[in-house]
Amino acid sequence: MAQTINTAVTRTDAPRKVTGTATYAADVLPAGMLHGALATSSIAVGTLTSLDTSAAEAEPGVVAVLTHETLPDYKTVKGFYAGGPGSASFWPMEGPEIKYAGQPIAYVVAQTAAAARRGAQLISAEYEVGTPNIHMDPADSFVIGAQGDNKGMVTTKGDIDAGLAEAAQTVDVEYTTPFQHHNPMEMFSATAEWRGDRLTVWMPSQSVRTLRGGIAAAYDLPETSVRVISPFVGGAFGSKAGITPYTMLTIAAAKAVGAPVRLIVTRPQMYTVATFRPESVQKFRLGADANGKLTAFEHIEIAQTSQFDAVVNPGTHITRAMYASPNIHTEQRLARSDTNTGGFMRAPNEMQTFFGLEQAMDELAHKVGVDPVEMRRVNDTDRHPVEDVPFSSRSLMECYDSVSEGFGWQNRTPEPGSMTDGDWLVGYGCATATYPTNILASNARVRMQGTGNAYIELAAHDVGTGSYTIFAQIAAARLGLPVGACDVVMGEADLPVAPLSGGSTTAASAGSAVHDACLRIARMVATEVTARSEGPLAGLDPAQVTLDDGVLRGPGGQSQPLVEALAATAAGEVEAVGEFRHPALTDQLIRATFAGGYGTAGPVTPEFAMFAFGAEMAEVHVHRWTHEIRVPRLHGSFAAGTILNRKTAHSQLMGGMVWGIGSALHEITEVDKPRARFLNANIAEYLIPVNADVREVRVEMLDEQDDYVNPLGVKGIGELGIVGTAAAIANAVHHATGKRLRKLPIRMSDLV
Amino acid sequence: MRNFDYHRPTDIAAAIEAARADGAEILAGGTTMVDLMKIGVWEPQALVDITSLSELEGYDVGSDRITFGALARMAEVGDDDALKTAAPVLTESLWKAASPQLRHAARLGGNILQQTRCPYFRDTAYAQCNKRNPGSGCAALDGGETNLHAILGGSDACVAMYPGDFAQALVAFDAEVTTKGPGGARTIPFADLHVLPGDTPHIETILNRGEIVTGITVPVTGALKASHYLKARDRESYAFASASAAVGLDMDGDTVRDARIAIGGVAAVPWRARAAEDSLKGGPLTEETAREAGRIAFADAVPLEGSEYKIKLGADVVAGALMTAHARATGGE
Ligand SMILES: Cc1cc2nc3c(=O)[nH]c(=O)nc-3n(C[C@H](O)[C@H](O)[C@H](O)COP(=O)(O)OP(=O)(O)OC[C@H]3O[C@@H](n4cnc5c(N)ncnc54)[C@H](O)[C@@H]3O)c2cc1C
Ligand code: SF4
Repeated sequence: MAQTINTAVTRTDAPRKVTGTATYAADVLPAGMLHGALATSSIAVGTLTSLDTSAAEAEPGVVAVLTHETLPDYKTVKGFYAGGPGSASFWPMEGPEIKYAGQPIAYVVAQTAAAARRGAQLISAEYEVGTPNIHMDPADSFVIGAQGDNKGMVTTKGDIDAGLAEAAQTVDVEYTTPFQHHNPMEMFSATAEWRGDRLTVWMPSQSVRTLRGGIAAAYDLPETSVRVISPFVGGAFGSKAGITPYTMLTIAAAKAVGAPVRLIVTRPQMYTVATFRPESVQKFRLGADANGKLTAFEHIEIAQTSQFDAVVNPGTHITRAMYASPNIHTEQRLARSDTNTGGFMRAPNEMQTFFGLEQAMDELAHKVGVDPVEMRRVNDTDRHPVEDVPFSSRSLMECYDSVSEGFGWQNRTPEPGSMTDGDWLVGYGCATATYPTNILASNARVRMQGTGNAYIELAAHDVGTGSYTIFAQIAAARLGLPVGACDVVMGEADLPVAPLSGGSTTAASAGSAVHDACLRIARMVATEVTARSEGPLAGLDPAQVTLDDGVLRGPGGQSQPLVEALAATAAGEVEAVGEFRHPALTDQLIRATFAGGYGTAGPVTPEFAMFAFGAEMAEVHVHRWTHEIRVPRLHGSFAAGTILNRKTAHSQLMGGMVWGIGSALHEITEVDKPRARFLNANIAEYLIPVNADVREVRVEMLDEQDDYVNPLGVKGIGELGIVGTAAAIANAVHHATGKRLRKLPIRMSDLV
Repeated sequence: MRNFDYHRPTDIAAAIEAARADGAEILAGGTTMVDLMKIGVWEPQALVDITSLSELEGYDVGSDRITFGALARMAEVGDDDALKTAAPVLTESLWKAASPQLRHAARLGGNILQQTRCPYFRDTAYAQCNKRNPGSGCAALDGGETNLHAILGGSDACVAMYPGDFAQALVAFDAEVTTKGPGGARTIPFADLHVLPGDTPHIETILNRGEIVTGITVPVTGALKASHYLKARDRESYAFASASAAVGLDMDGDTVRDARIAIGGVAAVPWRARAAEDSLKGGPLTEETAREAGRIAFADAVPLEGSEYKIKLGADVVAGALMTAHARATGGE
């Protein structure tokens, strides 16, 4: 029974998902429901001067056309980067102002989804058109912190210029990464139903409590009057985290028409009504001595942000933790352009910064003449190079050793262009992956029955990662029950507090709360059965009874399975709310999470720096005639503390690596500069890898013990896999062709 | 999507009658038609679904000609083993197109009449598009993104690129299209089917209103057996060509007797590169002559901003395709 952890357990929700019986938010059909559709702006900057809704209103089936002039009781919330729960600070349809292309300008409600969409197509708008800039100007950048101060956004240690001056070799390079969109398979949707002053919202969400808290406050309702339900999520990747205009518009529309309304955002609209990965420039100045040891490390990140928010996802906070250097300088900068506000997208601080960092390290290794893996080895460190605390655990070089062996790194001949296979040039590249271990407060309620069942309830989410399964595993292991006997209920704001599902925290934080609830159950049962006159544990001091893989054990070798002991209690059933409060969590952080925010301690606490690590290796082929770039092999070894479920963890890491292939070679949101619109807002033209692009992907998960991060020893793995992939591929492209490509994506057009 | 009438005639006369009405459009697999209707680019008043016209189904691989019904599916033809041997360029250009789902839905008649992927054509938020909205201008040429546009055959009014693959094979190998319309039946050289954009980019073919493509015929020639379709694209499958070449060689010993070259992903219409073909005839096929043919194929290309790479890429793809065709012609593959 104990072996339910660190084994490959098939998802408990898999049968429901593959048979279509899992009820997703947009599957719910409240009686009398109407359908919504958005009309969006064709221009990016300007003012709406007239909006003709007559044709839409005349369309059969259309019930109402709501505009900034006619939509009553529309409420908004503060944006995330201004400390609120919203996806952006600027709210469309509060007035005639247009600040980004594809901004909602009208909301059509109709009896059918087809009529609503047709109505939206029939709305015609006139504008006073301004001149937009869709690309940021990196020269016009500024430093700013998340809450308006610039604390921690600039780091200086030693003297960077002196470090560069003493270096045997230096690189001074710049990398660029494009706008990217999440494109989850499940469309954005919101369904709202008012019953008097009570509101229910069904919506795929990474944070039901953020939604409930924000909506209740906006409408000045007690939280008990607002239900937010999100049982399953068909992919989110950061795009379903905040409260977006489409949610608040649907709530207002349902109120306005006096009937439940459901909006399914169209795929092109998904590119503009929510967040995305902002474009960025990564500047590196590195210096190394003749052995490759760093003498200077400078990283300046310039990321795009909207005109009305400061999107700070500080990637330099991660890169500066990677390698030892006596002289370090980092800066986190932003530059504005005319888009909606960007946000988190799988590894929001890491994907683009590591594309820069890990290529810069490769460039420097090449100049110094050391093997790229050795380059990482000589700069490996057991203390955080800036914060000067030890890592709680760091298995980077174990990852490199493991991946090198399986991949056959020793077969690499260092000279670029020196390896071929028929008409293909062959290249090998490697890169470091990392992901910070975030720590958030969480609660979880576990109810156990003497008949051998357990119910685990918490306001966490399964965004497709396997959370339903791992919570059942944790409870099963602690309580001594089969996984199938542990039912997990999630995705409702009314359940016990759990954090927003983002930053790879759910397993670690919410999982630790489940673990704690199980320990509390054991204590309660022990208290009751030791007080009885009969039974194996009768008469013992309950404080001396411990829980060991589902068995209660006394100090003298007495033992009784927990479920048997529970069956012998008065009620035969027990319920406990577990808590996870890491010592590094301050009251302020705990309160932030309880308020629906993101109160993370870490990755650096006063005692330790906490990161998961990995090493990835790519074999790239470049065709002699077509210049096509293919990735026949991609290997990764990762160390992320305890692996709860080897199957779902493998899928997460592999999925991240596959996405990394896309980031490296395919993904880019194309833009039309003069009119600041996204051009390929659909999944036919926004390229992501197809099956044929993904050949051999091998994932190894190393054993790593970390007693500091949380009682389970778990670090996050949801984002780790994508982090090194693009750089590993870019390095392999250089090795194959001798061409150094410092922008994403790398396309054959760059190689002709 | 705008509401429309739906007809599904079972005989071709009725189909022609229905399709000649104002605002009526022909529907085959619908993968172009319905797609454009959903995004509001096309708003027909009526659709005439021709998929019940069973006489337009099927295909035949004969010894002197290969014939396809207009309703033959991309998938069934692309997967045909006999055709793979007789005319590799035809199967390769089909199975390297789109995705399995699309190839099962799409018919050859619809395939050759597919639409450009110009993003400005596909986004009705742009008022400017001479193809969608005659006389409105061209957003692509008005400072827009032109990396996907035609570097051959474009005009000041429109530089939309013809994105299809199969059509390149058809134009290279002298295919003909048979039609039936209000004016009776006719046979059109495939090379004449599509017309250059000029000042009227909204006129794309010489087909008349109500004229239904009934079939496609490809004569069997020496070069067809030693043919190849090479498609360069950023992902391995389910992507339009950045550049492609449909080629074939008929060798007389070491001498090229006949050469066929058409280039895709680069031109406004299916594009035969006759000068490149001529450069090879009567000489040997070497890596050098193949590369030279590639260069000649693009001699007249006018690159647009962002599409400069296509000239070199396209030339390399032509050369690479010729090398494979040569191997096939000489038993090397
Ligand atoms: C995402 C995506 C990717 C694609 N990728 C590729 C690719 O890589 N390569 C490629 O070559 N193609 C590609 N295509 C295009 C695809 O091959 C075409 O959409 C398809 O072949 C059209 O066939 P259909 O039967 O669906 O045509 P329909 O959509 O039914 O019709 C298309 C057009 O032809 C007209 N039409 C159809 N049949 C006849 C007839 N018998 N007589 C007269 N007019 C007729 C219709 O009126 C319409 O104008 C892609 C399409 C999509 C959506
Ligand atoms: S290139 Fe042609 S299709 Fe594209 S916007 Fe210009 S006119 Fe329209």
